[in-house]
Amino acid sequence: MTTEGLTPDETDELAHRARDGDRDALEALLSAVRPRTLNICRGVLPHSSDAEDACQEALLNVATKIAQWGARGRFTTWLHVVAVNSARTTYRRLKNQAVATDTPQLERPDPRTTSVIAGTRLDLLEALETIERDHPQFVEPLLLRDVYGLTYEEIAQQVGAPLGTVKAQIHHGRKLVRPLLRGTT
Amino acid sequence: MKRRLTAIVCASAFLLPACSADDDPASSPAPAGSPGGVADDHAGDLDVALSEPAEDSVYPSVGDPSVDALHYDLDLTWDPEALVLSGEQELIFRATATAEQFQLDLGEPLEVAEVTLDGEPVDFEHDGKDLVVLATVEADARYVLGVDYAGTPEPVPAPTMRGDFSETGFTITDTGETWTMQEPFGAYTWYAVNDQPADKALYDFELTVPSPWVGVANGELTSRSEDEALTTTTWHLAEPAASYLTTVAFGDFEMTEDVSPSGVPITYWVQPDAAPFVMRGLRTTPAAIAWLEERLGPYPFDTFGTVVVESDSGMETQTMVTLGDNDYTTSPAVVLHELAHQWYGDTVTPADWRDVWMNEGMAMYLQGMWQAEQDGIRVGALMDQWARFEDEQRAEAGPPAAYDPQSFGSGNIYYGPALMWHELRRRIGNQEFLRIMRAWPEERTNTSTDREDYLPWLEEQTGEELSSFFDAWLLGEKTPPRG
Repeated sequence: MTTEGLTPDETDELAHRARDGDRDALEALLSAVRPRTLNICRGVLPHSSDAEDACQEALLNVATKIAQWGARGRFTTWLHVVAVNSARTTYRRLKNQAVATDTPQLERPDPRTTSVIAGTRLDLLEALETIERDHPQFVEPLLLRDVYGLTYEEIAQQVGAPLGTVKAQIHHGRKLVRPLLRGTT
Repeated sequence: MKRRLTAIVCASAFLLPACSADDDPASSPAPAGSPGGVADDHAGDLDVALSEPAEDSVYPSVGDPSVDALHYDLDLTWDPEALVLSGEQELIFRATATAEQFQLDLGEPLEVAEVTLDGEPVDFEHDGKDLVVLATVEADARYVLGVDYAGTPEPVPAPTMRGDFSETGFTITDTGETWTMQEPFGAYTWYAVNDQPADKALYDFELTVPSPWVGVANGELTSRSEDEALTTTTWHLAEPAASYLTTVAFGDFEMTEDVSPSGVPITYWVQPDAAPFVMRGLRTTPAAIAWLEERLGPYPFDTFGTVVVESDSGMETQTMVTLGDNDYTTSPAVVLHELAHQWYGDTVTPADWRDVWMNEGMAMYLQGMWQAEQDGIRVGALMDQWARFEDEQRAEAGPPAAYDPQSFGSGNIYYGPALMWHELRRRIGNQEFLRIMRAWPEERTNTSTDREDYLPWLEEQTGEELSSFFDAWLLGEKTPPRG
């Protein structure tokens, strides 16, 4: 297979131009990152129509909030945070609808088609919802480390916190999440 | 069907002088355990496709080692109005174990009407993408499996974070044309297959579609017949291919012929309204073949072609590369990259997805060598540029040979291994490196293999102890120090 069309440097350059108001660059950027965004959303929401909704929302957020990209790290890292947050928003909305109409819209993921990594599991999403109530600051570092696989240094850069703080947040976050996951001993 | 099998036998006998009249099927005793097996008649001719099927260590849910596929005969008809693919498939396979059932992968949306084993209808279960055939087979005996199916194929989510694709398999465009790219899996979205790269097989295709559209697939175009209603093409792939390297496309393609300086016949399959840069890019194929042949030896197959489809990626499908129709995917660098894979990836193929670095690393390094030459810079200077983001790619998707299964095809399997080859080149010297680069695909023609074979071979060739070098480059969390 060919490499992706854009190297990380080229993607950042496009994102810089988009942030500075170049509409063509923004359009090119959105179309270049769409498949990646959809895949990130799929990692969180196993049902494809839910993931599509979340992806649309994520791209809209990229378009309207790109000025907030601090250019501290890679554009794709920022994109990942935006996409995961959009997927979580979509999840919350679906859950509220399900409660309101009393029809379960969120099925349990099919174990045959759902990866065993934590990121594709609804129980992880639920666990994150739970810890967010008391410890919202743990959620993003934990996602970046255990779902996205960033290094501690990169996470520190991304969330703008000292390295030691980030390590501690992830450590505490894991301790809280673990008992909430299905099938863990 | 019998008629076509005979045709294959004749073709193979012609290509392989070793298959002499002594192999007269009538005089060969049928292997025990397969009385009357149709496939036994042609045992010798299909030996080139014998494999050791395995469960994949990265994607174990796809593929099944119960079947060693030898020859797929696929009669496919595409109805672009109804969006229905109808398939009549005959697979000659070797059972790898004595068992009461065996299984293949076949996409859920395809409805199976009938399954036969050596001509007799047999029971089956089609649950999800698993086609389980409930029939007794004996280890090492060969059988012909018939599968009749139809439906609207659907691509499957790809385990990747790449920007240029998110699904693999049979894809239908807004205008009802179709194409497929399917690495690391997804061939099963359009035929019943052991969709794992350790199991190579031979292929024949018969593709039918309403005129003036035409079907394109791997191998040599052996016939084309058309009337006002339908166009049928037949394609013969003379050397075994892994399932991720097959391709099929139905659409309004025009064929253009070309030839490499060494005489390899080339066809380009392009839509009449394609942008002018598409054909400009494809026309660099003969020069790219010549450049690669100078370094890697003769092009490993009989024919080459490229089909340009509505995708944003590019795939080294064997003897018939599948390229997206944008300016990047039809650029000379991509043309060269996919051609390099015909040696690294296609004639010698990773047996397990954890070793995809074996083909992407060298294809990328060859692309880098070519790129540096074009830009008038030293390869080392280009490698310095690539090294700037290599650490980051390892952090994002894992080490090249132990990558995150959800990040298939990220930069980590391309750039890091390419840098590794450059370091090896500096260590053992230019001449020695070029000799080894050429020798590997020559020595492993038509095989699937892995690091357990490759790394000791490299040490033997170089006479150096390289285990810590390879460990650092392939399994390290960080880019190793560069010389």
